[in-house]
Amino acid sequence: MTIRSDRDHGQRYRPRMSCLKKLEATVVQMQDPSTGVKGTDQKLNITTIPHVITGQDIVAWITKNVNIDNDEAQAFGTMLVAFGYIYPLQDHKKLVLRPDGSLYRFQTPYFWPVQKWKAEDTDYAIYLAKRNIRKKGVLHAYEQEEYNKLHKWMNHKWDFIVMQAKEQYQFQSLSKADRVVFDCQERAYWIVHRPPPQTHSAMDYGLDRHIDRNAEEKKTYDYYRRIIIYTQQAVMRSRVKSSVSLGALAKYITTFKNHDPFLVPCLPSNPWHTDDNSYWELNAPDVEIPTKMSVERWSFSFYELLNDPRGRADFKIFLKKEFSGENLAFWEAAEELKWGTAASMSEKAEQIFKTFLAPGAPRWINIDGRTMGLTVKGLEHPHRYVLDAAQTHIFMLMKKDTFYRYLKSPVYKEIQKKAISPAPHNFSEAQLQQNMRNRRPSINPIITWQKEQEEKAKAAAAAGPVDIKKLMASKLDRK
Amino acid sequence: MGKDECKTMLDALNKVTACYRHLVIALGSTSDSQNLREELKKTRKKAQELAVANRTKLTALLKDKSISKDDRAEYERLWVLFTSSMELLEVDMKRSLEIGQDFPLKVPTRHLIQTGMTGSTTTVAARAMSVQNMKYEADANIDTVDLKELETEIAQVDQMMEEMEMKVQVAPWAVEAKQEAGAELKSTVSVGNSSVGVISICEEEPKETVEGETGLMKVFAGIIFTVVLLIAGILGYLVINL
Repeated sequence: MTIRSDRDHGQRYRPRMSCLKKLEATVVQMQDPSTGVKGTDQKLNITTIPHVITGQDIVAWITKNVNIDNDEAQAFGTMLVAFGYIYPLQDHKKLVLRPDGSLYRFQTPYFWPVQKWKAEDTDYAIYLAKRNIRKKGVLHAYEQEEYNKLHKWMNHKWDFIVMQAKEQYQFQSLSKADRVVFDCQERAYWIVHRPPPQTHSAMDYGLDRHIDRNAEEKKTYDYYRRIIIYTQQAVMRSRVKSSVSLGALAKYITTFKNHDPFLVPCLPSNPWHTDDNSYWELNAPDVEIPTKMSVERWSFSFYELLNDPRGRADFKIFLKKEFSGENLAFWEAAEELKWGTAASMSEKAEQIFKTFLAPGAPRWINIDGRTMGLTVKGLEHPHRYVLDAAQTHIFMLMKKDTFYRYLKSPVYKEIQKKAISPAPHNFSEAQLQQNMRNRRPSINPIITWQKEQEEKAKAAAAAGPVDIKKLMASKLDRK
Repeated sequence: MGKDECKTMLDALNKVTACYRHLVIALGSTSDSQNLREELKKTRKKAQELAVANRTKLTALLKDKSISKDDRAEYERLWVLFTSSMELLEVDMKRSLEIGQDFPLKVPTRHLIQTGMTGSTTTVAARAMSVQNMKYEADANIDTVDLKELETEIAQVDQMMEEMEMKVQVAPWAVEAKQEAGAELKSTVSVGNSSVGVISICEEEPKETVEGETGLMKVFAGIIFTVVLLIAGILGYLVINL
């Protein structure tokens, strides 16, 4: 059943696309015969069709009238083409503005994108049926697929679609030039709104909304009640002086500005741009030698160190040397409890109590009496966040004490020396194309998970309570 | 028979819907004019008349409880045809209101979009109204006056659609279409050479391959011709010498 746009009981509205109205104003200015882009005629065999503009003229006009530089004007022009206000006459599938002599034409207002009017499936079906008639059954592969899909879903309307298509195909009474323009326009419209596979559409807008953004909300009792509650809660929020928060923001930016992939190109190369996986391989959690950037990042804050799995592993090695690994072990166990399954929670809580919190436990952690009391009491009825207080305490302990010792330790200094700094890639066009063709799916996540589980099991076995008797026995035996 | 009448009326409504859509597409472009606005108005009125007639007929037929199951299925199919036509018409009318408001004709500097369509749409409208020639008799400020009428008409159509939805209990998804996929290919009227010309203009890819093939053929013909000439020359020389 068609969802009619006004009586849409499913309440799907498109989000506001405010750029469209502004683009319309620009397009109307652009096509003005006196002050707009100069149009010429297109000669096709014997017919001439007027109102054809070239790419370079468009870019020149935009640069002059919108007052921006050449590159931006080209990007702006490409957006105009991508939205469907101008369509290319040669190479109609690629919606890009080429700043050379390629020809474009303006689209009729009926086919302009409007927020309110979605390109309906019924219309697309009629268009495909017309195209079927024109091309005598030979459609493009993706068009044929869509045709079959629509035939299956809109089967109840198919008679109507066939009738309309035949009717609309009969407009042979127009002049030849007009017919060509008409067909080109419609084809351009559907390339924008039903893009061929592996192309991007400018009309991608995410999800439909439940509320009509263009309609005013009715001011009922509930509306005012909602507004009042919201403002009351806003007043109760704790405030921070802007000097303080801005200072913190400035500090964060100066620390992290070399690590942001948007601001500084990431070494060796951004995999999304060049299709080369080295960046991900070098920063994998189980890599032997980390990159200099990651090592630098670990020194920024304890949180960064713990978040990076490679950093955490390094910290663990350091703690092993210092024989104070129980803090980190407790922290990790508490994380596992927080993020684990509900079924395993009570068992995990038991384990943690036995290993870390019970008096005389093998890996007893040193937290203050009050927190210990609270935690032990909470463990009688364990829930996900029962270890939160203890975990925070341990975290602060590690941060204030162990972290700084780690940064000055030989372990860290050694890894700083060993860390590699990969050279940036400089791929040529041909190499980029080859990379694109050689794209392969990465390692199966199931395998990574299995590896992780194996590592954890090994670590658990190694870190289990060391049985002194057995150890001494093995030593004595050797003697 | 009620069915045949219904079918002819639905065909007419279908034709008018298609023509109306064509006219709305031309709205706001360089083929827009006073005449186009008048054509739109006339086509719209005709569409409304047909719609009302269709609706009364079909509702009468569907309300009749004493018809056979096959007949009922047929009438439901016709009903779905009718509602789909009306949906298209409604959307087109709303869009023509918006575009008409954006592109008024009576301002000192018209800014109609230069789309390349310069011909008039008289023939399309004539087809819609089933007349030979269109007569234009509207006054100068048709665009503003017409828009007000258009708003009232849209409201009427809206109301009619709501009533139809509420009163007639037809499940559209249960209707089975009679035509299968690709049915439009079978019985199209042959449209002559003109459409073939349009095909070759709009599609560059087939054009290039065709050109490539004829070029090759030409080269072959040239080679064969020169070979034949050479042989004739040699034979003539031999004949003369011997």
